[in-house]
Amino acid sequence: MPPRVTFQPCGWQQNQDTPFSSEYDFALVNIGRLEAVSGLSRVQLLRPGSLLKFIPEEIMIHGRDFRLLRVGFEAAGLEPQAFQVTMAIVQARAQSNPAQPYSGITLSKAGQGSGSRKPPVPLMETAEDWETERKKQAARGWRVSTVNERFDVATSLPRYFWVPNRILDSEVRRAFGHFHQGRGPRLSWHHPGGSDLLRCGGFYTASDPNKEDIRAVESMLQAGHSDVVLVDTMDELPSLADVQLAHLRLRALCLPDSSVAEDKWLSALEGTRWLDYIRACLRKASDISVLVTSRVRSVILQERGDRDLNGLLSSLVQLLSAPEARTLFGFQSLVQREWVAAGHPFLTRLGGTGASEEAPVFLLFLDCVWQLLQQFPADFEFSEFFLLALHDSVRVPDTLTFLRNTPWERGKQSGQLNSYTQVYTPGYSQPPAGNSFNLQLSVWDWDLRYSNAQILQFQNPGYDPEHCPDSWLPRPQPSFLIPGPPSSVWLFSRGALTPLNQLCPWRDSPSLLAVSSRWLPRPAISSESLADQEWGLPSHWGACPLPPGLLLPGYLGPQIRFWKRCYLRGRPEVQMGLSSPTISGLQDELSHLQELLRKWTPRISPEVHSKKRDPHTILNPTEIVGILKGQFHPFWITRC
Amino acid sequence: MLGKGVVGGGGGTKAPKPSFVSYVRPEEIHTNEKEVTEKEVTLHLLPGEQLLCEASTVLKYVQEDSCQHGVYGRLVCTDFKIAFLGDDESALDNDFDEKKKTLFGQLKKYPEKLIIHCKDLRVFQFCLRYTKEEEVKRIVSGIIHHTQAPKLLKRLFLFSYATAAQNNTVTDPKNHTVMFDTLKDWCWELERTKGNMKYKAVSVNEGYKVCERLPAYFVVPTPLPEENVQRFQGHGIPIWCWSCHNGSALLKMSALPKEQDDGILQIQKSFLDGVYKTIHRPPYEIVKTEDLSSNFLSLQEIQTAYSKFKQLFLIDNSTEFWDTDIKWFSLLESSSWLDIIRRCLKKAIEITECMEAQNMNVLLLEENASDLCCLISSLVQLMMDPHCRTRIGFQSLIQKEWVMGGHCFLDRCNHLRQNDKEEVPVFLLFLDCVWQLVHQHPPAFEFTETYLTVLSDSLYIPIFSTFFFNSPHQKDTNMGREGQDTQSKPLNLLTVWDWSVQFEPKAQTLLKNPLYVEKPKLDKGQRKGMRFKHQRQLSLPLTQSKSSPKRGFFREETDHLIKNLLGKRISKLINSSDELQDNFREFYDSWHSKPTDYHGLLLPHIEGPEIKVWAQRYLRWIPEAQILGGGRVATMSKLLEMMEEVQSLQEKIDERHHSQQAPQAEAPCLLRNSARLSSLFPFALLQRHSSKPVLPTSGWKALGDEDDLAKREDEFVDLGDV
Repeated sequence: MPPRVTFQPCGWQQNQDTPFSSEYDFALVNIGRLEAVSGLSRVQLLRPGSLLKFIPEEIMIHGRDFRLLRVGFEAAGLEPQAFQVTMAIVQARAQSNPAQPYSGITLSKAGQGSGSRKPPVPLMETAEDWETERKKQAARGWRVSTVNERFDVATSLPRYFWVPNRILDSEVRRAFGHFHQGRGPRLSWHHPGGSDLLRCGGFYTASDPNKEDIRAVESMLQAGHSDVVLVDTMDELPSLADVQLAHLRLRALCLPDSSVAEDKWLSALEGTRWLDYIRACLRKASDISVLVTSRVRSVILQERGDRDLNGLLSSLVQLLSAPEARTLFGFQSLVQREWVAAGHPFLTRLGGTGASEEAPVFLLFLDCVWQLLQQFPADFEFSEFFLLALHDSVRVPDTLTFLRNTPWERGKQSGQLNSYTQVYTPGYSQPPAGNSFNLQLSVWDWDLRYSNAQILQFQNPGYDPEHCPDSWLPRPQPSFLIPGPPSSVWLFSRGALTPLNQLCPWRDSPSLLAVSSRWLPRPAISSESLADQEWGLPSHWGACPLPPGLLLPGYLGPQIRFWKRCYLRGRPEVQMGLSSPTISGLQDELSHLQELLRKWTPRISPEVHSKKRDPHTILNPTEIVGILKGQFHPFWITRC
Repeated sequence: MLGKGVVGGGGGTKAPKPSFVSYVRPEEIHTNEKEVTEKEVTLHLLPGEQLLCEASTVLKYVQEDSCQHGVYGRLVCTDFKIAFLGDDESALDNDFDEKKKTLFGQLKKYPEKLIIHCKDLRVFQFCLRYTKEEEVKRIVSGIIHHTQAPKLLKRLFLFSYATAAQNNTVTDPKNHTVMFDTLKDWCWELERTKGNMKYKAVSVNEGYKVCERLPAYFVVPTPLPEENVQRFQGHGIPIWCWSCHNGSALLKMSALPKEQDDGILQIQKSFLDGVYKTIHRPPYEIVKTEDLSSNFLSLQEIQTAYSKFKQLFLIDNSTEFWDTDIKWFSLLESSSWLDIIRRCLKKAIEITECMEAQNMNVLLLEENASDLCCLISSLVQLMMDPHCRTRIGFQSLIQKEWVMGGHCFLDRCNHLRQNDKEEVPVFLLFLDCVWQLVHQHPPAFEFTETYLTVLSDSLYIPIFSTFFFNSPHQKDTNMGREGQDTQSKPLNLLTVWDWSVQFEPKAQTLLKNPLYVEKPKLDKGQRKGMRFKHQRQLSLPLTQSKSSPKRGFFREETDHLIKNLLGKRISKLINSSDELQDNFREFYDSWHSKPTDYHGLLLPHIEGPEIKVWAQRYLRWIPEAQILGGGRVATMSKLLEMMEEVQSLQEKIDERHHSQQAPQAEAPCLLRNSARLSSLFPFALLQRHSSKPVLPTSGWKALGDEDDLAKREDEFVDLGDV
């Protein structure tokens, strides 16, 4: 059992439908602050040496995920235990280490869990998963490369990825060597209209590629398109340190005892810059989606490390452009592919390995998704509660999904490296038999921690897939051109396209991404220079309207909102109150009526009258209570 | 001065800031459907409306897709509106731009550009460069004169319209809004709130004999002698506003005139003592006096805050928008408009606590009892009395507290433009407070935010008399026809509550909250006609079977709750530790910790993150703020769809039930068309087929056009140099 603090309410039984109760469960690593309260005195405990000098009446555990657990020991006779429990938590917290060997989870549940996953979210650890996904995206010019099967190209890369059809594995290996940490260009998403979204690391400037190498690099970036747009993802976006600082400030602001006066709340919120960073991400993602969906070209996201903002932008772009990604299943696959498999260093970023490289980029991403959910309430199959569940899961040590930095480490842990010899041959592939990773649990096994009733709430009742028809405009598939020098190469930066002379930095000019870019407010759109001169629409916009499934998010000051249900969960006074029953209430009413009608249909009307009074036809009270829940249900906890 | 002719022309001279800004009332809202017939550019005039001046070949800037282009047409000014008649197809949906506010650099000879800011925050820009000089002169001075210069009450369009449309007006007999202009209305209200045991309606001011400030009929404590009312022209007497179910009442009083003379002060003092004695002894509850003139908001503060706040939304062009965007939150905060809203809501909660939990009477005191008194007393009633959350109830509330309560709409809205200092948006502040409540508890209200938005617009439509007088007395004395024979019947002025004048039935559905569920069982004493046949009855047993709040309801449970839930933490939100604040805090926290009964007491959240900007009203004309296919409308359409289904199922069940054919009942539904609506619906129906070109177009054009490449290169900073 992973190290945690759990509160078991009276009447709670081991064999309920979830092994762990998500509401009262606190992983030790998640504890941001522990307070003991007695009378008027309150003490903060957490440092290994801290000592408790009184018997606490109440302890408060502030989670780093903004949750708050308050446990009172008010009933008589609990005093000795109160002291013991508190000190035990302090000690356990001091000793815990998130990177410690993972002991695995109760396997009885595991077998059951994997069986009940309806369409299991592909973990993207086998070549089959990649092939299936490739077919789903109809990326015909691409194939699954097995060059990294032994993680010898890059440990941070997945074992499989997509490369252009015509590129040989030897060329892939050759080209990848010239990118930072070996993270060369791979396909992220193929737009049905024909353009491709690629991601890659920065060019490795110290290397000295020969002509062959350069050609390989170029043809990989070009991916058969005549137009290539390089997007510098670090440009205009916050640095990792910025993200971390903003998140710390946000957390301080949202603590129950933060001293910000209510009339200064807005400027304090602005001062955290968190919302500003969200705006920047949405704006950039929106720009890139327009680039990807409106013309046929190869759009390459380039970030030095290729493990943070590239994942964020690539995921956002897909959410904006691909209706499939907005389903519950699609979103989970997306996170698995663009974050987990792509090697986002979750452990480091979430503070598991020491503070230096900590930056909750993934949480920033979740907030961006929440903004989209607010702006387009009918376009997403999943609900805010799902996002909250995901938000709360990043520090829960039940599964390895978020507890390792690279696919390699994750694989090592779950002992799947014995499938070394597996060779993928397109056409006739058979699943590797009897490998243990089939049993591996992931965060997507929601029934480990959430009850069925909670999982039901992951669905957005307002989801209306017909709301946005996913019929794509017919577009010509690009004919793959003969490889050669790219006919036009652009750099997209600060909201503007700049022509580039060449794709790779090595030939003569200094490197493209050698300049460290910092986040800056976009200067241009407002100022006269660009906007006023070229205010007219480009002529081809009219002829090439944006596809109907594309969402263009708002990213103005008034449109970016504060995720109250997530960040203010620790404040008792905000936890109270109700959300309006609105859609789910109506839905229940609807199904109730339908049921009534169905029951009556075979009957003759006179009986109906008496039937109506029958208590059994009316929903039973417990079901009704399910409709109206606290505003923060099911993810808040205060009263224990 | 910037006078750009066409799209993208000219480099970057920036328009100088206008040197003065002033406002004119916006006039009628036209639905554009009427004008859709092609090439119909004739001016539609209302009865009594006169064309004052016009200018042709005016270029109107159209902001669409964030790119500006222009449309030629005729600019017309009447005594009701300013209209632009385009003779270009693309101008069709821009005919009849009513409302305006003008601003330009000092009226030099011939301005080239005319910018009109409307009170509903729309901004129009016209270029006059291609217009004949004479016409420019005429139209500009005409507009200035008719929109900026002070005018007489009788010159309001209201009167010419009423005179001309005398025969056409049909008053809606089904309008159940209680107008409070008869003794009967007041008696009915007393009976409804069960206040008739301790309070009586008096007709001492009939014909405005006693004072012109008060309505002809009002309610005072039963033992109060009527001559007391006459003594200081209605000052210094407690006037009843509303009674709570537990017997406590909300009263208001206008302060006695300030006097220097000791003798008069002595008389005043003894008079007040007498009055207080009557209401201090049983059966009356303990009275708590709440002086709104001294310890609360000042009108000056409200005025300043709103004018700052408003500037955030009066956007002349994208440039301004993007410039302010980055500092949005701090600008918002520095206007302190949201903080003023919070303070009003908080004050109302405090008073609610006194009445509900402590069973005290509250006496609101203000100089004339006609500004903040109206605001606070309406808010209290809205929170405590579910009847006020129905549309009819809300309209009756406004009639009672604002129109009959003598709120000086004429001065506060500055309809006559005689004194800018008096212009204070108190009523708008009230609507914004109500919006916060509606936004936080949508199912509790029968009306929608759209209703509030159009109501706020109606404040400036000089067709309805509701918001154009300072007092009922002023209205009544101006009703007679001038000059003509006095025998003819008085003018028939329209009331704003007759929504059919403004909106077609289809559009009126947007004003009604489909999720509102009427109170499950109606008391037998309920007045007939309070139920509307279209109102939905929940088919489930009401989810909250909480009994309606009883006397002392909160008190019983708070102790326990506070101990368990809040512990010893004194909330940081209210730092004062005095007893009053503790009571408030207890009451507030305990209410919010319970499930909400939408037909009971309703309190707003007032923490920092909870007070929001009324986006529908303030952002609706800003194209940049549009989210295509998103926003609340997306949920609404889904909701309406489900509502319809529920309705039809219910009908089916009823049909089966009574084995009789239920009639049709097809909910008209504006939202159900398949097209994706914009988040600005139903206000700005902007055409936006594409995204804002975030990319400089030079780059776009060059894409796929290699020849251009070389020429363009120098325009961009080479990245190597950055």
